[in-house]
Amino acid sequence: MANITPEEVIVTDFAVREHRSLWIDAWRRLISSNTARLGMFIVALFVLSAILAHYFWEYDPKVDLDYTLKLKPPTLVANEDVPSVHLFGTDKLGRDIFRRVVHGGWNSLRVGIVAVGISLTVGGLIGLFAGFYENINMTSLERIFLFGFTGLIMGILPAWAAAQPLQAVLMAGLGVAAAYFPNFHKDSINRLWIFAAAGGVVTAVPSLFAGSLVTLVCGVWGILTGALLSRPLEGKFFSNVMMRLMDIVLSFPGYLLAIAIVAFLGPGLEKGMIAIGIVSIPVYARLTRSAVLAVIQKEYILAAQAVGEKHGRIIFRHLTPNILSPIIVQTTMGLANAILSAAALGFLGLGAIPPEPEWGAMLGDSYRYLTSGAWWAVLFPGLAIMLSVLGFNLLGDGLRDALDPKLRT
Amino acid sequence: MSNYIIRRIISVLPTLIGVTFVIFMFQRLIPGDPAVAMLGEHATEESIERLREQFGLNRPLFLDREALADGDLAGFFDSQYVRYMKRLFSLDMGESIHRRIPVAETLAIRFPATIELALLSMFIAIIIGIPVGIISAAKRNSAIDSISMVGSLVGVSMPIFWLGLMEIMLFAVLMQWLPAGGRLGTGIEIKPITNLYLVDSLLMGNFQAFKDVFAHIIMPAIALATIPMGIIARMTRSSMLDVLQEDYVRTARAKGLGRGLVLFRHALKNASLPVVTIIGLQMGTLLAGAVLTETIFSWPGIGRWVYDGILGRDYPIVQGGTLVIALVFVGVNFFVDIMYALLDPRIRYD
Amino acid sequence: MTSLLEIKNLKTRFFTADGVVKAVNDVSYSMESGEILGIVGESGCGKSVHALSIMQLIPDPPGKITNGEVLFEGRNLLDLDERDMRKVRGRDIAMIFQDPMTSLNPVFTVGYQIVEALRLHNDMTKKEARKRAGELLTLVGIPGAETRLDDYPHQFSGGMRQRAMIAMGLSCEPKLLIADEPTTALDVTIQAQIVDLVKKLQQELGMAIMWITHDLGVVAEMAERINVMYAGSIIERGKVRNIYKKTRHPYTMGLLGSLPRLDDSPGTKLASVPGLPPDLLALPEGCAFAARCAYRNDHCLAEKPPLVEIDGPDHIVACWRWEEIAGINKNE
Repeated sequence: MANITPEEVIVTDFAVREHRSLWIDAWRRLISSNTARLGMFIVALFVLSAILAHYFWEYDPKVDLDYTLKLKPPTLVANEDVPSVHLFGTDKLGRDIFRRVVHGGWNSLRVGIVAVGISLTVGGLIGLFAGFYENINMTSLERIFLFGFTGLIMGILPAWAAAQPLQAVLMAGLGVAAAYFPNFHKDSINRLWIFAAAGGVVTAVPSLFAGSLVTLVCGVWGILTGALLSRPLEGKFFSNVMMRLMDIVLSFPGYLLAIAIVAFLGPGLEKGMIAIGIVSIPVYARLTRSAVLAVIQKEYILAAQAVGEKHGRIIFRHLTPNILSPIIVQTTMGLANAILSAAALGFLGLGAIPPEPEWGAMLGDSYRYLTSGAWWAVLFPGLAIMLSVLGFNLLGDGLRDALDPKLRT
Repeated sequence: MSNYIIRRIISVLPTLIGVTFVIFMFQRLIPGDPAVAMLGEHATEESIERLREQFGLNRPLFLDREALADGDLAGFFDSQYVRYMKRLFSLDMGESIHRRIPVAETLAIRFPATIELALLSMFIAIIIGIPVGIISAAKRNSAIDSISMVGSLVGVSMPIFWLGLMEIMLFAVLMQWLPAGGRLGTGIEIKPITNLYLVDSLLMGNFQAFKDVFAHIIMPAIALATIPMGIIARMTRSSMLDVLQEDYVRTARAKGLGRGLVLFRHALKNASLPVVTIIGLQMGTLLAGAVLTETIFSWPGIGRWVYDGILGRDYPIVQGGTLVIALVFVGVNFFVDIMYALLDPRIRYD
Repeated sequence: MTSLLEIKNLKTRFFTADGVVKAVNDVSYSMESGEILGIVGESGCGKSVHALSIMQLIPDPPGKITNGEVLFEGRNLLDLDERDMRKVRGRDIAMIFQDPMTSLNPVFTVGYQIVEALRLHNDMTKKEARKRAGELLTLVGIPGAETRLDDYPHQFSGGMRQRAMIAMGLSCEPKLLIADEPTTALDVTIQAQIVDLVKKLQQELGMAIMWITHDLGVVAEMAERINVMYAGSIIERGKVRNIYKKTRHPYTMGLLGSLPRLDDSPGTKLASVPGLPPDLLALPEGCAFAARCAYRNDHCLAEKPPLVEIDGPDHIVACWRWEEIAGINKNE
């Protein structure tokens, strides 16, 4: 029996699978799903037809009108009664519904992109910062900004009451001072008194000329604000304020707020886009914040902090890529939602202004003729809404499965 | 537990105040003067001024700077917003600017109509959505699963106003089975007790009336139920799938529990937390969706009424209607929080 | 005489989108009543999956037991339908799991969860079951058991939860208790308490225990025999003394080498096993360990070594070069 000696092992990792990137992996999972493929097909059809129609199939809704062809059912071949082919029939003004449905796609696409753009940008940033600063201590510069801004906002009331901007500036200054000297009488009740007194003085004195009562009200307000600024406000304060604000917006049933905003802005497709975008801001803010909270305690964020990277860099280089998947999914489904909401507004007569072709408005235009049997005028625009919304939803659903390997089988 | 309830109430308060503030803001910021809208273009300056005075429209929105400068502290606070808040706290909704009918009176009739519709829709959505979600999760990746998940996605993607129109076309125009709109057939009398007609007709023991009420409500209820149904089914499924992967489900099976018990006793209770949340959120969607269904089915609820109020600058209506909707919404979510605590001991004992 | 548990050629596969994961490959061994068997290996070596296969708790899909027999007191469990298998689970074979934090259902009281197990397999009234549950909690060393029955899992510490899990496992006095890394998620001091508790309970109640762990130190203390698993197969098996003192498989040597010893001279480097375990989707043709083995030759890479008895059934090893390795084992 010969003795053997161990050799230096050069580990050969044979039989290791080929290396694939995360995104390629997700893409493969996406196209392997039947429902996601169906979604992609519908979305592609919708986007392509909308773009092609907009650029290559001229349509002027203002001159499209022919009373002789009023409310004709779908025809596949021309006949004496209806001399032209109308795949989807005609509406109450004798307009070809097929043509209007295809062109309506362009409007729906625009609504989706603009509305989601608004809510994603605003909501995403709010959620990102709220989630980040809830857990990470602010730098002194950021604290100066937060305190200064808080002071400025609180200073608006006395400035308005005394009809001059001085107090707002002074209060902002007080905020900056509070942030700049965080250790001044720290942990002592004196800090509270000093700042409250300072707040009272800087608001009351400049309003002396406006009358004694003004001075009194401003002074009381200033004392309260000073007391607030003496506290060691942190990111949590900012996050709380922001998320409470989001709660309030979210407390309104969606359409109602959108209707109110449109009523305020006036009707029109562009106003509708803005309204829908504003209404969904809280959805994105909450989603982004919770996604941030899920990863903020991860070691790679701690590591980035430990090596002293700047906050902005941590947020956009380390945090954002890691919370992208839920946001991509939400964006896709948000497009579906925006299209649906725009159609609802259009149906109520608050979206696109006639004769602009828009699916919801087309429905709203025609549904009174349903009882007289003009089903085609209602069926096809509605089908267009449902299919395009379904397409984005299917795609979003597929994306969720593809981007979340935890749930795959 | 009582601590938890108190904390939830406190946390709801700022939201409520915020909501009332936003309602106030919107209606005042909408361009157009209701006094002019009401009296017409040719009304005299004087009569418009009198009307503005009557509804407090000539007061400043929030605070009166001039009054303060004059040393009038009470005047400083006597603004439209403060008046509005005072009225809210005394539950005085005022009367409609256009119709001169007390808002509370109309609300008492119209609000139950909307609530009845919303509750029935939610009931339909839950009794279909939750079982579908459970079955899909239990039979994951099967044909049943795929069909019900694509089906529920179609539900989520449904423009409910269009679905309502299709229902009318099929069941009212073509088949003539159901009435196309309204809440009650002609000649049917309902003694208003709760103003929920389904309940009232049963309380009266009038089955004929119940049938008529049901025939009127079923189409809008189904149209309104589609989206929440899809959302609930999907949420139930994904929540069940999450829970079924948990270690305690394996523990339950290792004890020798059968699939049914594991599914319905051990998994469902844990999985119900997010489902309850989503049901609460959907209640708001239902109330908002009511604007659309009420338009199509001529349902005499508050959705359409508030919508007309917004367009007609009828502040008291918008104020009262939105407030009630927002209150219901906040109330439902409060109720959801309580349910949460009942379902999850970790919250209850926190 | 039939063994308590005899496993023959057990194979478990997971059919995933990326291919077939060969999680358990031809595992055969037997266990006697009242015996403590240790099962040792790295994470992902198939030791937990093989235990779940015995219980038929493999998530299906994607998992499937594709081959083999699991004879429990002579009866093949794989032939039982789900209804009969349910009677085996909890009553004949109980199992406790790695993470006590997640293994108890958070929305039911601890008492309820024990009572549920008791009433499932015994004809007991609620009262009797509750009384018994209290006794069980006392048995596993939870003070004030009566009142703690109404506590929810989150009100228990990690160690207490594992004790409650053990109480639940023992509730129907099983003949075999499978403990799947029951101490891994616990603090070291709590680990020792749990090990002592299980040893004590085993002496009192006399059930057989299968103790699955990656910690050779713990099993050395309590087990009589040890199975060492690697890449879904048993690669060395035998009495504790043989495994520790007459180690014949290079992988086991590596595992032992990575255990610090009191008699190591200061400055001794802990030996480690280089590299990673093989991908179970694509197992190599030859010895699964060859890629990481310091003693491999061409034969090892070409052909999979069979299990051979080198000291009767008390020591079995799957290595082509065990005889040569015998010469260099410094423990002897």
